[in-house]
Amino acid sequence: MTASVVPQLVVSGAFMGLVYALVAYGFQLTYATSKSINFGQGELVMVSSFITLTLADLGFPYWLVVIGGLLFGVLLGLFVERAAVRLALEQKSEGWILLTIILGLFFFSAAENIWGRDDRPFPTPIPSDAIQVLGISVTPLEISVAVGVIAIMGLIEIFKRMTLLGKAFEAVSVDRDAAELMGVSSTRTVMLSYGLSGLSAAVAGILVSPITTVGPTMASVLVLKAFSVAVVAGLDSGFGVVLVGLVLGSIESLTSFYIGSGWREAPGLVLLILALAVRPAGVFGKVMIRKV
Amino acid sequence: MVKRFFFIHGPEALVFVLLATIPLAVKNTFVLALLTLLAIYGILLIGLDVTVGYLGQVNLAQAAFLGLGAYTAGLAVNHFGIGMQSALLASLLVGLAFGTLLAFPALRLEGPQFALATLSFSALSSTTLNEWESLTNGAQGLQVSRPALFGLHLEAQGFFWFCLVLLAIVWLAMRNLLTSQWGRTFEALRDSPIATDAMGVGTYRHKIAAFALGSALGGLAGGLYAFNFQYLQPQIFVWDLMVVLLLGVVLGGRKNLWGAFVGSALIVLLPNLLSSKLLFRIISFAGLLIAVVAGGRSYIGKGTRPFQALAPVISMSLLVVAAIFVRNIEDMRRAIFALVLFSIVVGLPEGLMGFAARFFSRVLNIPPAPLPGAGPLNLVLEKKDADSSPLLEIRELKRYFGGVRALDGVSLVVSSGQIHGLIGPNGSGKTTLVNVISGLYAPSGGTMLLRGRQLPEGSLYKAARMGISRTFQNLQIFSELTALDNVMVALKGVYNKSLLLVLLGLARGEERCAQSGALALLEMVGLQDKARIPAKDLPYGAQRFLEIARALACRPDLLILDEPAAGLAHPDVKKLVEIIRNIHKLGISTILIEHHMEVVSDLCDVITVLDGGLVIAKGKPEDIKRNPAVIAAYLGVST
Repeated sequence: MTASVVPQLVVSGAFMGLVYALVAYGFQLTYATSKSINFGQGELVMVSSFITLTLADLGFPYWLVVIGGLLFGVLLGLFVERAAVRLALEQKSEGWILLTIILGLFFFSAAENIWGRDDRPFPTPIPSDAIQVLGISVTPLEISVAVGVIAIMGLIEIFKRMTLLGKAFEAVSVDRDAAELMGVSSTRTVMLSYGLSGLSAAVAGILVSPITTVGPTMASVLVLKAFSVAVVAGLDSGFGVVLVGLVLGSIESLTSFYIGSGWREAPGLVLLILALAVRPAGVFGKVMIRKV
Repeated sequence: MVKRFFFIHGPEALVFVLLATIPLAVKNTFVLALLTLLAIYGILLIGLDVTVGYLGQVNLAQAAFLGLGAYTAGLAVNHFGIGMQSALLASLLVGLAFGTLLAFPALRLEGPQFALATLSFSALSSTTLNEWESLTNGAQGLQVSRPALFGLHLEAQGFFWFCLVLLAIVWLAMRNLLTSQWGRTFEALRDSPIATDAMGVGTYRHKIAAFALGSALGGLAGGLYAFNFQYLQPQIFVWDLMVVLLLGVVLGGRKNLWGAFVGSALIVLLPNLLSSKLLFRIISFAGLLIAVVAGGRSYIGKGTRPFQALAPVISMSLLVVAAIFVRNIEDMRRAIFALVLFSIVVGLPEGLMGFAARFFSRVLNIPPAPLPGAGPLNLVLEKKDADSSPLLEIRELKRYFGGVRALDGVSLVVSSGQIHGLIGPNGSGKTTLVNVISGLYAPSGGTMLLRGRQLPEGSLYKAARMGISRTFQNLQIFSELTALDNVMVALKGVYNKSLLLVLLGLARGEERCAQSGALALLEMVGLQDKARIPAKDLPYGAQRFLEIARALACRPDLLILDEPAAGLAHPDVKKLVEIIRNIHKLGISTILIEHHMEVVSDLCDVITVLDGGLVIAKGKPEDIKRNPAVIAAYLGVST
């Protein structure tokens, strides 16, 4: 029994790690185009989940509910871009950090007052009975998380590589001014990146909600871990987040089992500080050359 | 002078005396509790303002330092039975120690990474306080009894006076610090860390000191907090409190002691403001009115973008709607903070006191403290003997960027007292060469000797300490500082007083001395009349000259001017030539990168020509002009 406990913990943790990776991927998208990230991203995950839940309660079919939730995520992302990021960058300040924190706080309070403070179950057509694979129990829900995360990241990457709009996205990420000179609107590209980032937050919310239930605080620790994953992997590391996400998820689940569930946040936080101390560009990130 | 003294120190003294006498007049425990809290938060916010205001970084760890300080004091008293003075000292030291520890990784970082590091620290310390139950008693909370202060048992009133005295001490000490070279350097760091390093001021040391100091004040405030409430719970020191603290600093006004004071008054009164519906309505309407007037004025007057002007109005309107329709305002607490903070950050970035300070100094027309006369230039820059001995020797210097060979084995010798021209087509490696010499990049190979001694590699700071000083092709001035302060930040060899003396206000003498030295340098580049103007408001040419004055303030052996004439109008180019001649007369050796051939051939004793990372010619200006290789490199003529 004890022999199989470690692999079991690792696997269950890794599935959660994929969700961190997806949220972290949302940070990468916006960091690439505008060197900014949404500090209130957790609230985007949470609000999209609540909206999806509300749509489901209204009796819409599941596929429509999901599409509605995703669309709402995109809208929220665009709102954050306009009301926080662009507003601050127009003033040429680091104010966007404060403003995104503030918007997050506002969303949190709004959710608290609209939907209440209690956690609610999230309906899903996917069964939750565990199946045994090589002596490790895995639920179809967890598999759906893995499939969903990989699918959405894959789709966005294909979009970035295969379409003209995606190429514009890559161009702005590499050199904003040069792209601007070639007729690519950097403002629109930043908007696009925030839209996609909102989309990935909504996907993360819809995937994780059936497991964690939906409540105002559902994403406040999740986002901390997503920060860790993004920083440890590097904010421009691409698929590096997946690997780091898997590792962090596993470590966390082991910590929680062997040291105590209260400490499960600790490894992510320690890793983040360590990564910033030792290698600020991240494990998979590129080291930038200072220019004058 | 009298007016200045009266209006600046008068209000401070008045407020402290008023605060101190309120408990004598009003015998009310509730009021006393509020006042005590005001003093404690005042100390906390002054500490937070050092990073948020002066370093310009979003610091999310101050609530954690408050918590650490509080638990340190509480546990120290409970376990060791020490007096209040020792317990508070322990809190302060714990804040200082953890602040320094966190500062090492966090302060190499900027912007979002810094915020994330402090956020993680915050979450980590809250986890630890919660989970380490054997020590902190976990979520159950910790009872703390108020110990004696030097054997004296303080009741509520006495404790308030003690807190107030501490606030006054912190206030005075921080004002001394922030108006000294330290405060100037903090601000310079925010504007251009590269330039502060290149001036030999030491980015890292100052950032760590600033952050550690702010954290120490957080720890001290924590100790007082513990003895005030005499009951601690880990949940107190979390995210919500952090947001409230940021609200206090931003609303009160950054870079302003009064701002921290007003901010803490606001934090203390906040729960009461929200509990009275009428009061809240009045405030929200007033807020909307201010937002409309301020937004309208800036839209018409300064041409602010429409959304920029409108956003605070929208957010304040939401607040008014909440004030009218929401039954239980307490439930909407976070949203209200968010709306107010949003309006302030967007609409009034300088905060209430920043705005008030500007307003009053205009209305009352308080003159700034008079400057001393410019000192004699030779006190700042003593004349060096130009003996034409080799000053800088570079052998086979290489620097590769991936596969690009920006420098592919460059050798040159700069003789002492000479102006050494460095020319070459775009992309020939000139700027890379000076970036390697000045320490911005480490070389990939080769040796660099200054007066026969090995030059430090890859450290702007160390190279500057060795006597190399430079200007930048893309200006790196400290834009928020005045012209005078720009030069004073870089002035070398003037500031010798220790941090302790600065805090005690015993370093004013060297400040005057620095002012007169900096003025002499400004006079040399013709900016003596513009000493008080913020650097960002200077015309472009003046900014270039200011960079030269600042580079000279490091008293360099070797001055590197990277395209000083770039973008200058013709009269300014003439002025520049004059300035460089005067520098030459002082015996300072100069490397001059320039595209204006007439400037180069006019000024330089020797010219080195680079192309494709290699030296293709060196010699006197007249020879260089006729050199076929040089002509080919510039005009692309095949030889």
